[in-house]
Amino acid sequence: MAIIAGVDIGNSTTEVCLAAMESAKVTKFYTSSIVKTTGIKGTLANIPGIVIALEEALKKAGMTMADLSEIRLNEATPVIGDLAMETITETIITESTMIGHNPSTPGGVGLGVGQTVSFTQLESLTSGEKVICVIPENIDFEDAARVLNQALARGIDLQGVIVRQDDAVLIANRLQKIIPVVDEVTMIEKVPIGMLAAVEVAEPGQTIRTLSNPYGIATVFELSAGDTKMVVPIARALIGNRSAVVVRTPQGDVKARTIPAGFITIFGSKGKADIDVESGANKIMETVERVQPVLDVQGEAGTHVSGMLERVRQVMSELTEQHLGDMKIQDILAVDTFVPQKVQGGLAGEFALENAVALAAMVKTSRLPMEQIANQLRSNLGVKVVIAGVEANMAIRGALTTPGTDKPLAILDMGGGSTDAAIITRDERVLSIHLAGAGDMVTMLINSELGLNDFDLAEDIKKYPLAKVESLYHIRLEDGTVRFYEQHLPPQVFSRVVILKDGEMVPIPSSHPLDKIRHVRREAKKRVFVTNAIRSLSRVAPTGNIRHIEFVVLVGGSAMDFEVGDMVTDALAEYSIVCGRGNIRGSEGSRNAVATGLVLSYLDREA
Amino acid sequence: MQINEQVIREIILQVLQGMEQPKPTTNTATAAATGRPMTLVEKGEARPGTRADEVVIALAPAFGKYQNKTIVNIPHSDVLREMIAGIEEEGLTARVIRVLRTSDVAFDAHDGTKLSGSGIAIGIQSRGTTVIHQKDLPPLSNLELFSQSPLLDLQAYRAIGRNAAKYAKGESPVPVPTKNDQMARPKFQAKAAVLHIKETEHVIQGAKPVEIEVKFN
Repeated sequence: MAIIAGVDIGNSTTEVCLAAMESAKVTKFYTSSIVKTTGIKGTLANIPGIVIALEEALKKAGMTMADLSEIRLNEATPVIGDLAMETITETIITESTMIGHNPSTPGGVGLGVGQTVSFTQLESLTSGEKVICVIPENIDFEDAARVLNQALARGIDLQGVIVRQDDAVLIANRLQKIIPVVDEVTMIEKVPIGMLAAVEVAEPGQTIRTLSNPYGIATVFELSAGDTKMVVPIARALIGNRSAVVVRTPQGDVKARTIPAGFITIFGSKGKADIDVESGANKIMETVERVQPVLDVQGEAGTHVSGMLERVRQVMSELTEQHLGDMKIQDILAVDTFVPQKVQGGLAGEFALENAVALAAMVKTSRLPMEQIANQLRSNLGVKVVIAGVEANMAIRGALTTPGTDKPLAILDMGGGSTDAAIITRDERVLSIHLAGAGDMVTMLINSELGLNDFDLAEDIKKYPLAKVESLYHIRLEDGTVRFYEQHLPPQVFSRVVILKDGEMVPIPSSHPLDKIRHVRREAKKRVFVTNAIRSLSRVAPTGNIRHIEFVVLVGGSAMDFEVGDMVTDALAEYSIVCGRGNIRGSEGSRNAVATGLVLSYLDREA
Repeated sequence: MQINEQVIREIILQVLQGMEQPKPTTNTATAAATGRPMTLVEKGEARPGTRADEVVIALAPAFGKYQNKTIVNIPHSDVLREMIAGIEEEGLTARVIRVLRTSDVAFDAHDGTKLSGSGIAIGIQSRGTTVIHQKDLPPLSNLELFSQSPLLDLQAYRAIGRNAAKYAKGESPVPVPTKNDQMARPKFQAKAAVLHIKETEHVIQGAKPVEIEVKFN
């Protein structure tokens, strides 16, 4: 009887499958284990992780290293992915023509139109003038309200107020007339004085109607048809706000500018194509599909894109000790996203959601130094180490242990760095492909779209469901159900959106509501995993038509995710494909496919 | 042992000297310490509130009555006014009570939460130490604690009021950014102790909390 260990070194985890073999037959699968991969996949740094994983599996089976007859390593696919993001639009406000920061508590309600006047000027005004008062810092709300009320009593037609401090409700509550008050305008000294301006505040729970409508602005400022055309960007920038200020200045404008992000050149076997990054993800992906299979991708020299593509090459070249020129980018995945960016020229620190393109690139080289790992492992442990076979073949072998599967079968391996697909036909031919973009890209999208600047937190948001802590004794889960607790929850999660991570709650330090975070998370997963599932399966489909694939088994770390599997299953159902999460050996779930395949491949050699 | 006593004496002497130093400026400080005039009218025993849009501010026994400024001479009237303003700005109402049975800020605030319709209360001591509390928490826990009273200014008190109101609304406020100064403890420890003793003198064992009407003239 021989004890065989299959070891699968993946981008993020190292997995072991332990089994006993006798006369060309697996007599017993003992145990499996999973640990974090140490170092970058395919390097000597992996060895500590391999040893830990082996020890863990052996311990569970009550064995020691000496019982092992053979360790089988996979020929890890030499793919490495990297990510980058390019912002392709920016918003610029000129001449302080607009304030659209949407403070949480504006005061009063309604629309006011008048000349902007400073707080100190107010006393010198004569009655009947329509004005909007601008109140600087360090003026107490009661003093402000008193002076404003005196002005109203003198017959000055006060139409609205713009305030520096967070005092809008306090001032509005003390005024004798209900007028709109916008506060927290941090750069109040930049508000042009003596200009015609409009202030609008909507009822709580509603959004402004007049200033977000180009014809509304035209009515307020009596604009000509030509000028109305000019205010469209202003109106558009204010859509969805509860409060806004628009100042009519001679050249004032809001520009949504496109930033030239450079172009990328895609070399394919069907020719080459140039494509501007700023034309968006759809165009880039169309180009990739047109020239695929991709042989190499290069960025315009001196641009961010080029820098990122070069970095991928560099890392891969160092890893494999092969020449930089031999590093070819085999695939890119572009995804449209948006990044909250500070608006240039804004008066109140306005943020605008700018369009951006996220890129994942993948390099493939001829081989990784697996032989070195095998040699090192052999001398460290004194056990026979064999490099057993190509990852995709092993994964299929493992996947076929899922109950209810048969050839022909396609697998979809969604990992952290790449999405791999492989198909086995009835006559045992295996075809495989590796595409850029997987779990790490989803994390990047979540991180940037929510403006978290915290990669670990984004990773947690990706992996675990959310809940809102409504009181110290109950939470509302993201599907709306309520869960009660006997013991009170820790105070730091009170009233926050939390991640339910293995029984503990991690508060998310941002003001995004639960629905928004959930939406961003799901959209990011769809844009990466569903896109890549369809893309990769149509490439491996023998006829080139994805509909001719019947069975798909999802394996790999991201298939374990609580919703990705369902999303892909749902999307593939449209093509009448039977797709589901694998259940390796009927017990392991979608994990351990390659390790199991490695053990099974021992039989081939015997035969 | 003798050496220890000597060391302690020296330290106390130094601390007292340190306290005496800013004396020339105390005249201007007391002038500023008057702040906006405020009258606190005691209205009998405080009853539990039923309105979900109220935040209780629970004053310690001496606040605004036997003492009138915080440890860094900010007038109590201004402190209270800013906290009420912070709550009002968020669209809620503040209800002020005085807790008499304790001078401990945690229990003071926790007594307040039980009377608060929203379950949220702010507890404040005369020296300025403040806490935001919630009724389901154990007394010595809290939502936000501002233990370094010498570092709290009027802006911070406004923000404390605002955050308490946001908790009452079920929003997720960003905790009030607090300053941290290692020197605050050695510099103010003696004064803080004195102020706390003076506060504790006015504790009435077993007394019920008192409803207070605040008037700013």
